[in-house]
Amino acid sequence: MKHRLPILVAFISGAIMIVAFFGRGSVVDAVSDEALRGQTIVAGIALLLGVFSIVQVHWGRITTHHSDRVYSAVLLLCLAMMAGFGVFAGVDAGGVYDWLFQKIQAPMMATMFSMLAFFIASAAYRAFRARTIPSTILLVTAIVVMLGRIPMGQYLYDGLPSWANWIMVVPSVAVQRGIIIGAALGAASMSLRILLGIERTYLGRG
Amino acid sequence: MQRVDRRIIYTLIFISVIVPTLWPLQLPTAVTPETQSFFNAVDSLPSGSRILFPFDCWPSTLAETEPMAVAALRHCFRKDLRVVGLSNVGMGGPSVLERVLLQVGGEFGKEYGTDYVNLGYKANYQAVLLGMGSKIEDIFPTDHHGTRLAELPLMREVPNYDSLRFTVIISDNAMVDYWVSLVNARYGMPMVAAVTAVMAPKQLSYVQAHQLQGLLGGMKGAAEYERLIGAIDKANRGMDSQSLIHLLVIGFIVLGNVGYFVTRDKRRAPAGQQG
Repeated sequence: MKHRLPILVAFISGAIMIVAFFGRGSVVDAVSDEALRGQTIVAGIALLLGVFSIVQVHWGRITTHHSDRVYSAVLLLCLAMMAGFGVFAGVDAGGVYDWLFQKIQAPMMATMFSMLAFFIASAAYRAFRARTIPSTILLVTAIVVMLGRIPMGQYLYDGLPSWANWIMVVPSVAVQRGIIIGAALGAASMSLRILLGIERTYLGRG
Repeated sequence: MQRVDRRIIYTLIFISVIVPTLWPLQLPTAVTPETQSFFNAVDSLPSGSRILFPFDCWPSTLAETEPMAVAALRHCFRKDLRVVGLSNVGMGGPSVLERVLLQVGGEFGKEYGTDYVNLGYKANYQAVLLGMGSKIEDIFPTDHHGTRLAELPLMREVPNYDSLRFTVIISDNAMVDYWVSLVNARYGMPMVAAVTAVMAPKQLSYVQAHQLQGLLGGMKGAAEYERLIGAIDKANRGMDSQSLIHLLVIGFIVLGNVGYFVTRDKRRAPAGQQG
């Protein structure tokens, strides 16, 4: 019973969602709507649990004098500030929460991401070598796409953008589609395994 | 030639970004068929149509996603489309969407609540996407500012997807897959997507399958769109920097390979002499 009940609940829930997906307006649809509303509530509670967990971990580091306790203190301070201003002063444009986000958090995240340009250039210089025929094909293709995707490429040779677009639209999409179909088949088979009770790792045992 | 100090590489990259930002080259950008299809799809919507505008982006990719969102919104507001915005990225998505809506809405004299709305964020995107098909108010009882949807004139006309004519997705993650597989597949909602350049190759397969009616790919897509709507802005300036950086990276790759072949031949020569 300890395992049969969760499997039964998983099967019924999954079956309802599948039937509702293909049969819009059916009786099952109403049940599915309730389940979806419940899911958003559960997800909200899960977010809250995440906050508790992060506070617990970092508070632990501070009280045990961990070598990274300063970073943990900064994290908890920022968490408290953003949550406090968001909850008590609102998230409207022009408020403190919005100012903290627009002027500090967003530029910091964008800066971290933009560092990639430096690392990619350095890595491309060190690692992109025409050692074998496949790596040479990859290298030439990358150069054509990189040139074809920029205005300067078109300025150098008019046909480059259409070459680059052909590479993106024909061979690249063919591979991407294969990956998508493969992943979808994998997801479908895993879902079926869960619904039929074959896959039970979510119950806490293999 | 294989051992250029990385500080030299970093300095050259820095200069390649800064110089075109200060002195724009203003090189023309060729419009791809996917961008043209995106433009045509939005342009063919009747004035006053209600559209969904999901902004599913993290602040880290704003350099690419914000110019796309601004260009697409300018086209929408110019056509007097009424925009229902939301975000499935909790960290910053609704705030950036708010900024973009206020900026572009202000340019066209649009009014919040009547011409556009920001629903904000709700956790669990799959449940959000499917739940909005039945009743948006069940998923978003209030907008981003805490106002009840019943108090917003635009939202009184939009109980679910049936009242929305089109979707313009701005995304930097796998959310496009869910919009296509859940909302387009189940509700038949026509849609276009603006995604980061690194995501574009995957999304092109949806364009070919007609699940997406058009696609903007990264800063280049935004730059093309700015030209199509006749409002040259950040993306075209950014493309100048991108041009120089691409050329620089290609230059480094060529330099590295020349160095590799020269040293390889030198390595082979003594071995041949010994043999």
